[in-house]
Amino acid sequence: MAEVHVIGQIMGASGFSESSLFCKWGIHTGAAWKLLSGVREGQTQVDTPQIGDMAYWSHPIDLHFATKGLQGWPRLHFQVWSQDSFGRCQLAGYGFCHVPSSPGTHQLACPTWRPLGSWREQLARAFVGGGPQLLHGDTIYSGADRYRLHTAAGGTVHLEIGLLLRNFDRYGVEC
Amino acid sequence: MEPQPGPIPAKMNPREEKVKIITEEFIENDEDADMGRQNKNSKVRRQPRKKQPPTAVPKEMVSEKSHLGNPQEPVQEEPKTRLLSMTVRRGPRSLPPIPSTSRTGFAEFSMRGRMREKLQAARSKAESALLQEIPTPRPRRLRSPSKKELETEFGTEPGKEVERTQQEIDSQSYSRVKFRDSARKIKPKPQVPPGFPSAEEAYNFFTFNFDPEPEGSEEKPKARHRAGTNQEEEEEEEEEPPAQGGGKEMDEEELLNGDDAEDFLLGLDHVADDFVAVRPADYESIHDRLQMEREMLFIPSRQTVPTYKKLPENVQPRFLEDEGLYTGVRPEVARTNQNIMENRLLMQDPERRWFGDDGRILALPNPIKPFPSRPPVLTQEQSIKAELETLYKKAVKYVHSSQHVIRSGDPPGNFQLDIDISGLIFTHHPCFSREHVLAAKLAQLYDQYLARHQRNKAKFLTDKLQALRNAVQTGLDPEKPHQSLDTIQKTINEYKSEIRQTRKFRDAEQEKDRTLLKTIIKVWKEMKSLREFQRFTNTPLKLVLRKEKADQKADEEAYEAEIQAEISELLEEHKEEYAQKMEEYRTSLQQWKAWRKAQRAKKKKRKQAAEEHPGDEIAEPYPEEDLVKPSPPEPTDRAVIEQEVRERAAQSRRRPWEPTLVPELSLAGSVTPNDQCPRAEVSRREDVKKRSVYLKVLFNNKEVSRTVSRPLGADFRVHFGQIFNLQIVNWPESLTLQVYETIGHSSPTLLAEVFLPIPETTVVTGRAPTEEVEFSSNQHVTLDHEGVGSGVPFSFEADGSNQLTLMTSGKVSHSVAWAIGENGIPLIPPLSQQNIGFRSALKKADAISSIGTSGLTDMKKLAKWAAESKLDPNDPNNAPLMQLISVATSGESYVPDFFRLEQLQQEFNFVSDQELNRSKRFRLLHLRSQEVPEFRNYKQVPVYDREIMEKVFQDYEKRLRDRNVIETKEHIDTHRAIVAKYLQQVRESVINRFLIAKQYFLLADMIVEEEVPNISILGLSLFKLAEQKRPLRPRRKGRKKVTAQNLSDGDIKLLVNIVRAYDIPVRKPAVSKFQQPSRSSRMFSEKHAASPSTYSPIHNADYPLSQVLVRPFVEVSFQRTVCHTTTAEGPNPSWNEELELPFRAPNGDYSTASLQSVKDVVFINIFDEVLHDVLEDDRERGSGIHTRIERHWLGCVKIPFSTIYFQARIDGTFKIDIPPVLLGYSKERNMILEWGFDSVRSLSEGSYITLFITIEPQLVPGESIREKMSNMLKKFESQEDEKLLQATEKFQAECALKFPNRQCLTTVIDISGKTVFITRYLKPLNPPQELLNVYPNNLQATAELVARYVSLIPFLPDTVSFGGICDLWSTSDQFLDLLAGDEEEHAVLLCNYFLSLGKKAWLLMGNAIPEGPTAYVLTWEQGRYLIWNPCSGHFYGQFDTFCPLKNVGCLIGPDNIWFNIQRYDSPLRINFDVTRPKLWKSFFSRSLPYPGLCSVQPEELIYQRSDKAAAAELQDRIEKILKEKIMDWRPRHLTRWNRYCTSTLRHFLPLLEKSQGEDVEDDHRAELLKQLGDYRFSGFPLHMPYSEVKPLIDAVYSTGVHNIDVPNVEFALAVYIHPYPKNVLSVWIYVASLIRNR
Repeated sequence: MAEVHVIGQIMGASGFSESSLFCKWGIHTGAAWKLLSGVREGQTQVDTPQIGDMAYWSHPIDLHFATKGLQGWPRLHFQVWSQDSFGRCQLAGYGFCHVPSSPGTHQLACPTWRPLGSWREQLARAFVGGGPQLLHGDTIYSGADRYRLHTAAGGTVHLEIGLLLRNFDRYGVEC
Repeated sequence: MEPQPGPIPAKMNPREEKVKIITEEFIENDEDADMGRQNKNSKVRRQPRKKQPPTAVPKEMVSEKSHLGNPQEPVQEEPKTRLLSMTVRRGPRSLPPIPSTSRTGFAEFSMRGRMREKLQAARSKAESALLQEIPTPRPRRLRSPSKKELETEFGTEPGKEVERTQQEIDSQSYSRVKFRDSARKIKPKPQVPPGFPSAEEAYNFFTFNFDPEPEGSEEKPKARHRAGTNQEEEEEEEEEPPAQGGGKEMDEEELLNGDDAEDFLLGLDHVADDFVAVRPADYESIHDRLQMEREMLFIPSRQTVPTYKKLPENVQPRFLEDEGLYTGVRPEVARTNQNIMENRLLMQDPERRWFGDDGRILALPNPIKPFPSRPPVLTQEQSIKAELETLYKKAVKYVHSSQHVIRSGDPPGNFQLDIDISGLIFTHHPCFSREHVLAAKLAQLYDQYLARHQRNKAKFLTDKLQALRNAVQTGLDPEKPHQSLDTIQKTINEYKSEIRQTRKFRDAEQEKDRTLLKTIIKVWKEMKSLREFQRFTNTPLKLVLRKEKADQKADEEAYEAEIQAEISELLEEHKEEYAQKMEEYRTSLQQWKAWRKAQRAKKKKRKQAAEEHPGDEIAEPYPEEDLVKPSPPEPTDRAVIEQEVRERAAQSRRRPWEPTLVPELSLAGSVTPNDQCPRAEVSRREDVKKRSVYLKVLFNNKEVSRTVSRPLGADFRVHFGQIFNLQIVNWPESLTLQVYETIGHSSPTLLAEVFLPIPETTVVTGRAPTEEVEFSSNQHVTLDHEGVGSGVPFSFEADGSNQLTLMTSGKVSHSVAWAIGENGIPLIPPLSQQNIGFRSALKKADAISSIGTSGLTDMKKLAKWAAESKLDPNDPNNAPLMQLISVATSGESYVPDFFRLEQLQQEFNFVSDQELNRSKRFRLLHLRSQEVPEFRNYKQVPVYDREIMEKVFQDYEKRLRDRNVIETKEHIDTHRAIVAKYLQQVRESVINRFLIAKQYFLLADMIVEEEVPNISILGLSLFKLAEQKRPLRPRRKGRKKVTAQNLSDGDIKLLVNIVRAYDIPVRKPAVSKFQQPSRSSRMFSEKHAASPSTYSPIHNADYPLSQVLVRPFVEVSFQRTVCHTTTAEGPNPSWNEELELPFRAPNGDYSTASLQSVKDVVFINIFDEVLHDVLEDDRERGSGIHTRIERHWLGCVKIPFSTIYFQARIDGTFKIDIPPVLLGYSKERNMILEWGFDSVRSLSEGSYITLFITIEPQLVPGESIREKMSNMLKKFESQEDEKLLQATEKFQAECALKFPNRQCLTTVIDISGKTVFITRYLKPLNPPQELLNVYPNNLQATAELVARYVSLIPFLPDTVSFGGICDLWSTSDQFLDLLAGDEEEHAVLLCNYFLSLGKKAWLLMGNAIPEGPTAYVLTWEQGRYLIWNPCSGHFYGQFDTFCPLKNVGCLIGPDNIWFNIQRYDSPLRINFDVTRPKLWKSFFSRSLPYPGLCSVQPEELIYQRSDKAAAAELQDRIEKILKEKIMDWRPRHLTRWNRYCTSTLRHFLPLLEKSQGEDVEDDHRAELLKQLGDYRFSGFPLHMPYSEVKPLIDAVYSTGVHNIDVPNVEFALAVYIHPYPKNVLSVWIYVASLIRNR
């Protein structure tokens, strides 16, 4: 019966080599969690930074969960995409991070990665865009054997998340 | 010395023994004189040795050996040194008991004893004297050479010893001896003085630490001291025994002088020459060594060990795997290695516990995992696991659909399906000649024959029969006595029954064979005769019957034998049967006899009884029927049976004298050439030549390709031989071939459709077999030549009997397979597209390769495969599969309907699911976020559960409960209940679509962008600045529009400006039924006249002008707020008042979507205020006014809020909905005539009110979702021609460009969601005959009646939940079935009726007030246009100012659409002549002619007569309900019903219905007055179409009749329901209140 409010925003992303970025995000929880209100997933606008290399989205996240257990603590997963000058979109990075478990405001930085692919694919990516993508999106946050992937580092997604917990102490969880 | 590497404790004993033996030998070899003593000594020594505990370690032995190395040393000394050395090496604790044992062991030995005593003495001395002395470093220095020596001596030994085994000891010792010898040979030199200790000895002596007391740790240092200091003494003692020889002193001295071991050794060097002898290198021959090695080493053989050796005696190997146990996979070990190991184990450890039951070495399953657990160094070629596979995607243009859902789709692939169409064979074709028909038949029969022949079932059955008979024979054989008789009998019985069965089958088969052969011959004969008759041949078919002669005699014998066998069997059967019957007979006979006896006895009794009571006899019943005496069964006759058998044999079997006939069909015959054929045949052949056939390939019902058109051959075979490669993306849904035939140059006709199965994924090109699919067509073809046609009866006989009818049919041979890509991968869409079943469970099993992917979905197939492939059920790898199969096959096994995703979840849960679900807060939050209507925009959910009322959910739960329950009490007849349910479903589906459309955002929805002013606008505004200011000419300023976001309750107001009304009914002076007005009635007139003014009451009747006829006021109610105007006077009042009503959005949600769906209605009711003087006494008139105000309802106008919202303002004059009869009121024409200027208005009947309604502040109406919806709807499938759809889009775009506000409709959505062109809805449809019969000659009246009928169908907007967005158009028959619909359906039906009445009628799309966008019907009659409102049944002339239709968008006829391109769109100002292209833009024009679209409407409408009885029943029920309601509404008063009045009213209602509520007022009034003259009467009839009860109740309520609280009021209520065809009901409710005049 404990409740968790996740309120915050996806500030933006930095460190990506591409410039026009947008982000698809989602929050994944275990079976014990029930979304009371809010939207589980979404997509930000495309931001083309004029100054600096940080893309700012300031995309709001407002979720209210009820949970009957600690397992499957919510985790955020991201797909950062970039849009090129032709309006084509390609993947720039995958990433995930857990929602913090202590109440309060948190600044999170979620590093991202993207699959590398063969040299041919890398070459193609460099010249004509596109690139390898995961067939199954849930590999981002689950996937015990991700070690088979060859990845390249992407940039970092920055988050500012405020967390409100309720009734956890009633069940012996101190926070 | 280092301990030997890894000595095994088990080997220790042998080692020790060996050492002992070595010493013995050594002693033997010694050349010491004192042999006997030594022998003794050795014996002695052996004893303690044996007593020595086994803890003796190798170190000890080594040290011992070092002594043994000294050839001459005195033996008796040995134990001690050994002990000492031992203690040195091992530390104090290891040897506790030795000193004592050795002591006892040597006790008898005198010399030894003496020595010990001396030593003892010396020790004590030394202890006392040199207790404190520190040991000198000497002994230590001495150690190094000793070490060296030791190494040289024994360096090789340990290695050798390791290899030694017990068996080898002898040889070992031998070599050892040798070795010693050689060592000795070198050493003996210094021993020349025999009495002296050798250098070696001395060295040892000095270097050893003497630690005699191993236990006492304190003693250790003492011993050391002693060892260090008392060298001499010790030496002395030691020397003593050999002291017999001389030179002891000298030696002693020498030693003392030497004192130092080094010096001593140096000294030794000096005399080296004397001691050293040169010897050849010690060499062992290779032979010897090999020999030795062979003795030492064990080399296991590589031969396979026979199993019996590995297993215990008399044990058979047992193979667990064969017994079904899971054994696992053994690790790979080379066979030879295994053999070596086995041999070794057999040798070394004969216990055999190393071997398993199967005689193999025990082994665990292979522990090596199939994949490495560490990431491999990936090279690019390596395959990556499927889940982690990445896919290169091209950078794609972003598609906006379903955008914000993160998902990974299936890889789009290009897959290929190869369809090979090899040919087509007609089994019947219209151009078949009779001969062809026969030939086809013959070919078919021959095929059948071949197939049967191949199977040869008869032969098989015969053999079986034979075998069975043999079995019976052997079973009966008495030579097999070991089985019990019972079982024999049983099996024989079984055999026999089987014989019977088989015989029956065989006979049937044989008969079939025979008849088939017969038919073949018969057909062939027919064919031959036909050929002869027509004198030409068409087909090359030829049948040859080959006779195979058999040995007649043998044949006959076999035949006879068979018959005999059968006979005997039958006889036996019969016998059995007979016996059985006999048995039955006997028992029944017994019964019968018993019964007879009883009967007789009874009779007797009865007789007696009858004598006693003669009256009772008749009453005696006969409970038992007479039993018939059973007849014995007849025995069977052999002759009869034989007769039967023979007959049957003759029928079904080849008789022995007949030869076997083998038919052979060949195409060897020749076809008669054309010039020899008759004309008819030639023309037939010509016709055949003209025909050609091609096939279309349809993939998912879309044509993808077609074959070339091939001419039909004379043999009606067409060869295509074409392969089509279909590049596909998705899993195919259907694959169809269409067979088309072309005759000459005419258009092709579709013969038939052939559905091809979609191949399994295992079927790839090259492996697919060619298959034949049959097709047939139901077309009827009659030909004028020899061809027999298709679907036409024809006959072979001359007289035309025996007619045959054949349909065109044939076979297509084809093969469909998946193509194989360049790299050998079949191009098959992934399995996931077909279905995502239990892929994961089966991932590991390679069932896919064996049964194909489609097989995986078929449990039975899968189970079969599992059974066939002998899956190991115990193999954990197969566990998921096995479970699946067991579940699938057994069915009854428990199938868990869950699986645990998070295993320990339950244990760690805070609360249970139930508790979580019970939480009201969570539920409320959840429902709110789901936007459930009841909770949408619910504000402030309480923090604690306890603060949430249970009743919050009540409404919601009730709604959920009621969703599926149709309240029969609301819907009185079941039909309407069903319709309501259906409509509910339709509405829900529409809402779902709407919700989808709502999520579909356009850029404009998100971003409001001010338009950048262009130069012209800029210039204009600049120009305006320079304009002269004209303050006296005010200009309209646009109101500011407010977006819906920042609004809250109370911000929005609804402004209703009521301007004026026309033609309000006026009160009529009550006239008593006796011509003279009664007092009271006059009073009434007086009162209301007198109260407001000073008019004299006397003038009331005489001067209508001077009288206040009516005092109307308007009451506006909206959202439970009621406002009313002041009271005006007269029938044409002018109020000019603005009423302000607050608006509250549902749940405070002011979003656009929410506002659009507001369903509230603004009610504008017009009342008459009547003042009654209640003064009892006239005398008080001067001092007080006692009046009662009564309000009489006159009529109402309803305007839905959504109309106001969308139109922003409503401005106009509306017709007031006034009941046809208002008692006490009349619309006096004469009054109007008095005012001449108003006479114009009298043209239109009825009362009107002018209103202006708007919302303050003005709301942005929110771009209607219609646009989005229409985009959405375009995606709905359509059966319209693609071209037409494109044209409609173009047309609409063009129209919207010119006049964006005018409604233009070309396509609509039908009830199943398909887009349909609108003109298809218009078609003449017959109105009910009943209506036509009413006014057979008056077309106008009929039209009105029809319009009335249409208006009686209840109006039910499907747009009610979201103002005017999505219309589903139902066809007229659906509409009549549903008995509900909105404007469009009414209009369509009315238009269709008018068309069938022969009028020129159009559907008119436009805007009306108050409906908004709507559909009307336009008709052309006698030189003028009439506009019909289909929902009310009213009609208006084109120039009627009160026509609610305000603008016209387009006209729709049955064959065209015309869009209004005139400047104005008001019906008053436009020309309806659609033939003028300048005024009306037509859809179909010369460039796009009307293609002749067929209608979606039915051929004609069928009307059931309405059930009068049901209507009457309904009428009663409604009356009852309404009466109850009225009583409920008056809780504080007594409600009395005036029955007399009610019956009068009831009598009156049918008349109203008949006259449609017109022109009856006067009669009505007169009638009423006559009957109820004593009452003051106020009431009116209400007329409504019937849909539900609730609207009726609301209507009655809204009149406010029940509000009268005069104490003596009485009520009257009558209901009349007039049924029209198709269950359309017209409901009349008459409500009245009566006040008795006193």
